[in-house]
Amino acid sequence: MSIIKSVMFDEWRYWRRTKVATTVILIGIALALASVIVNSIEVRQASAERTELQRISEQTFFDQPDRHPHRMVHYGHYVFRTPSPLSIIEPGVDAFTGTAMFLEGHQQNTAMFSEQRQSSGLTRFSSLSPAFMLQVLVPLMLILVGYSCVTREREAGTLHVMITQGVKVRDILAGKFFSLAGSGMLMLAPLAIASLWAGAHGESLAITASFVLGYVVYILVWSAIVLWGSTISSRSNASFAILIALWVVLCILVPRIASTTAATLEPSPGKLESDFSVVEELRALGDGHNASDPAYEKLKQDLLNQYGVDDVADLPMNFRGVVLTYSEKKLTDVLNKYAEARMDEELSQAEIARQFGWLSPMVSMRTFSMMIAGTNLENHHRFLREAEELRFDFVQALNHAHEHDLDYHTDINRYVNDDTAKAARVDASHWQVLSSFDFAPESAQFRLSHSLRYVLQLLLWAALMLALIKRASRGVM
Amino acid sequence: MSEPVVVAESLNVRFADQCVLDDVSFTVNRGEVFALLGGNGAGKSTTLKTFLGTVAPTSGSASVLGHSVTSDSDFIRSKVAYLPESVMLYGHLTGMENIEYFLSLADVKRSASDIEAALKRVALQADAWHKKLADYSKGMRQKTAIALALLRSAPVLFLDEPTSGLDPSAIDEFNQLVTALSEAGSTVFMVTHDVYGACQVAHRIGLLDQGKIVGVFERSGSELIDTEQVHTAFAKRNA
Repeated sequence: MSIIKSVMFDEWRYWRRTKVATTVILIGIALALASVIVNSIEVRQASAERTELQRISEQTFFDQPDRHPHRMVHYGHYVFRTPSPLSIIEPGVDAFTGTAMFLEGHQQNTAMFSEQRQSSGLTRFSSLSPAFMLQVLVPLMLILVGYSCVTREREAGTLHVMITQGVKVRDILAGKFFSLAGSGMLMLAPLAIASLWAGAHGESLAITASFVLGYVVYILVWSAIVLWGSTISSRSNASFAILIALWVVLCILVPRIASTTAATLEPSPGKLESDFSVVEELRALGDGHNASDPAYEKLKQDLLNQYGVDDVADLPMNFRGVVLTYSEKKLTDVLNKYAEARMDEELSQAEIARQFGWLSPMVSMRTFSMMIAGTNLENHHRFLREAEELRFDFVQALNHAHEHDLDYHTDINRYVNDDTAKAARVDASHWQVLSSFDFAPESAQFRLSHSLRYVLQLLLWAALMLALIKRASRGVM
Repeated sequence: MSEPVVVAESLNVRFADQCVLDDVSFTVNRGEVFALLGGNGAGKSTTLKTFLGTVAPTSGSASVLGHSVTSDSDFIRSKVAYLPESVMLYGHLTGMENIEYFLSLADVKRSASDIEAALKRVALQADAWHKKLADYSKGMRQKTAIALALLRSAPVLFLDEPTSGLDPSAIDEFNQLVTALSEAGSTVFMVTHDVYGACQVAHRIGLLDQGKIVGVFERSGSELIDTEQVHTAFAKRNA
């Protein structure tokens, strides 16, 4: 163990004296720190802003005066997704998907205000997330720091001297590995501190610990890749070329190929195509605003028969409210069918892309990181579903008020004059039907159990690198 | 009483269809300086590599301190101080730091005063101790490596072309050091093509030609080996 420590300390001393490696490590730490600080501030601000906006939006809805209930259906309501505590490190899909949604009757609006949609090209480049930094740039920095860790000794002949003095190749490589891993851990330190901060702000200990541990394994895998590249190469320039090529393949090409393959294997219809299909199907359902629409003839007949009356005016409830409730249900079923199909397609694409984690540790780390942070696609889908559930509930609650608390005659005469319009209002206490929206990530247990496959991918990469280094060590002599 | 330390018995090394060492046998006893003399391609370096365990013998046996090179190379390396032709130490470290580092790799603990004493013993100027090795001459590097060997208390020294590239005064200093080490009980096995240098320090010289030992010369009493005699034999083989 003391020999491994000596080799490790000497490597650090070499980096310190040659300055290049030290500079790279310091740049890495500074970038990681800067990205963590900037993201923490942004996410904290966004979190406080969205919580406040959610409160204001709910209050504004509640504060509406007496109105016709259907006006409130169209008045609508906003829901905001507060970021998960770990999104200060891993923004995941949140940067691309919207964070706010306008909920109203007869519509399923898409989420809006995504960071990427609002940013110009240059801003996109400058929005460096700590996760991107650790998943993509830290491996590159490890390469810059360590590509010559073994080849340098080989070229200088010191490797031969060490071995012929009885130092085991295994110990030399272990010392080099720990020196590289140590530099990676320094660059990881800001993330670990930020995770502690996330822990202090509501994230579970199991999640923060797993999150940091995942990145530790990832750094170890890349340290092993760099060590392996340097061990199998006879010269430093060859090692550098091999490792840069590997970085390009594992961190740039494979993720790109993954998304292209996913889009090819699971093609999704364009938005226009989907929208046309939805509109066509909705048209067949009839217009809920028009109670005389032939689409509701059967509903009308059934009700007339049920209550033994000849005219909808004689029904014990407001027929217009009944139609609105009925049509909203039918319309929501159709919208949900298309929404679920779209989410299934997106999830299938994501699943295909995630399989590329077997081919690239960066892909497995990215998936694991998003899963654990609660910023993955499934989480976004859950936000859409919960928002839709809220929309449907409050719209139907307003329709229920329309149906039972507003007289049919008053309702149909509301455009006659100001007095009839005033009479066709319901009490503002009805607006209390709106439930509070408080979106939170899945439970720790759920997130951990769903990320096991990606842990396995990372561990497989670790095992593969261990085997490759063991094999390469035989050729050192 | 002589105690065999470095032993080769009917040692054969073949690379593909080329015979590099052909039935080589010799013994180096404790405290003895043995020089394996030969021209380029004679098989000197292969012999050294075989004892260091980096080349496996095709047949025959080789041992150091009674341990076989094929089964106990780790033990042998821990007991041997090996000085390659060009001493490879770390250019970014000072002489002192190099020694401290390699001692830590050998898991040997020595105080700063021990290291200074060793550096004085190999006659490395004190003002060079804290200079980076990148600024050392070849002789100074060699002294550093020998100081390291002294501090490791390695009972066996393997030297590969030790005087190659040294100036005459450095060669003299080196020869004195090797003699002193031998007198202190260290066993020295060197391979060289320097006839004069070998005759100055060696108790015995084995002349290697095309992988075979074709002659052995040894001191007679306290007299050095006759340089002329060895030179003639060497020249005849390398004409």
